[in-house]
Amino acid sequence: MSFPKNLTSVGKKILMGLTGLALIGFLCAHLAGNLLVFIGPGTFNEYSHKLTANPLIYVAELGLLAIFLGHLATGIALTLRNRAARPTPYHVKRSAGHTTRKSLASATMIVSGAIVLVFVPLHLWTFKFGKSYGAEGGVRDLYRLVMEVFSSPGYVLWYLVAMVFVGFHLWHGFSSAFQSLGAEHPRWDPLLRSFGWFLSVLIAGGFIAVPVVIFFAGGKL
Amino acid sequence: MAKMTLNLVVWRQADANAAGRMVEYVVRDASPDMSFLEMLDVLNEDLIKRGEEPIAFDSDCREGICGSCGVVIDGVPHGPEPGTTVCQLHLRHFRDGETVAVEPWRAASFPVQKDLVVDRSALDRIMAAGGYVSFNAGGAPDGNAVPISKSKADAAFDVAACIGCGACVAACKNASAALFTAAKISHLALLPQGAAEREQRVLRMVAQHDKEGFGACSNEGECQAVCPKEISIAAIARMHREVMHATVCSR
Repeated sequence: MSFPKNLTSVGKKILMGLTGLALIGFLCAHLAGNLLVFIGPGTFNEYSHKLTANPLIYVAELGLLAIFLGHLATGIALTLRNRAARPTPYHVKRSAGHTTRKSLASATMIVSGAIVLVFVPLHLWTFKFGKSYGAEGGVRDLYRLVMEVFSSPGYVLWYLVAMVFVGFHLWHGFSSAFQSLGAEHPRWDPLLRSFGWFLSVLIAGGFIAVPVVIFFAGGKL
Repeated sequence: MAKMTLNLVVWRQADANAAGRMVEYVVRDASPDMSFLEMLDVLNEDLIKRGEEPIAFDSDCREGICGSCGVVIDGVPHGPEPGTTVCQLHLRHFRDGETVAVEPWRAASFPVQKDLVVDRSALDRIMAAGGYVSFNAGGAPDGNAVPISKSKADAAFDVAACIGCGACVAACKNASAALFTAAKISHLALLPQGAAEREQRVLRMVAQHDKEGFGACSNEGECQAVCPKEISIAAIARMHREVMHATVCSR
């Protein structure tokens, strides 16, 4: 992992911003796909089939993996460097208030990030590499697997907690990415930050809606 | 005006290599009109009379414009009043009988020399790396000989107000000097006089910032909240734009 080390602190933050925004873009597309579950098994399975049957999916997956790992490696490199910059802690330290943007979300980015890091492989294991039921026309019945998994209260709860942390990560991450990419304007900045909060609630809420609705509907829609 | 009592808990450290600790002191009969540093002066007079070592702290102009002073008061650099250096912070902002923790700036790049005094020469080395313009200024130029728009002049002035006190580093959870470095870069980037060295300046100053061991910016804005000159983190966004510009344009 020498590449994030060779970047300056500013270069690392620009990379964090770029990869972060790309990952948010992925989340939006992922969520749109998930919400098709509410239309019905036919549409949902057809979507998942067309998505995975396209050979370009491997290129996209490789790119996504590179972006994910880049964000991860840079985030860890930054955190280690930042911790080393203050070896002796204060006896008393509190937020200055006033014009600060510090929040619980901004102070715990590495924690929410770590939870997502645990979640992602488990999530892939459950769905992407999970049980493959057959549906009509040789299409994988992903719909059935989704219904099955989201009937389990334990899994629904873990999924819900993970998505709250995703929302938490984006709460600070969205506007922070723009700031790192040099976008800051007295007129647009408050709007951008409000939009970031709105988007983080929308994304987390959207992902949470699927398992919660399925669970309370008794594992079928 | 009624006199007040303050219970101080102050970081005492004999020298750069000694281990420090928090020591309690009681300051009685302090005037609410005293500045925080004047209160420390009174305490030091008392310590000297008792044959103890006075508390070392930096200060010079005592009117908030030199950047010499600065201590962390109850976890906030320069104390609770926004836009105020510690020499301009008056005791009227504290309660009678309040317990107040006083600590030096804490950063790997700001080693403590003694008590509340830290070595901030890392900031000087960032300046030496590029915070200047290299040309013979000659005599005083005619006013408005170089046209500069009002908005740019204002923006440059806002960041040029930086007094280099280091409170931004002290407040940042990453001990980043991003706001200081960005203010100095922005000041010259906004003015035509700085244009000749625009690209090399930002790259050199950012490289020196990192070399000194300061952390990276997490865009939390604690720095702008404690900055006695209320410099906005918009300067940090500008520094990032300058880095991107220089990376693409310099050769």
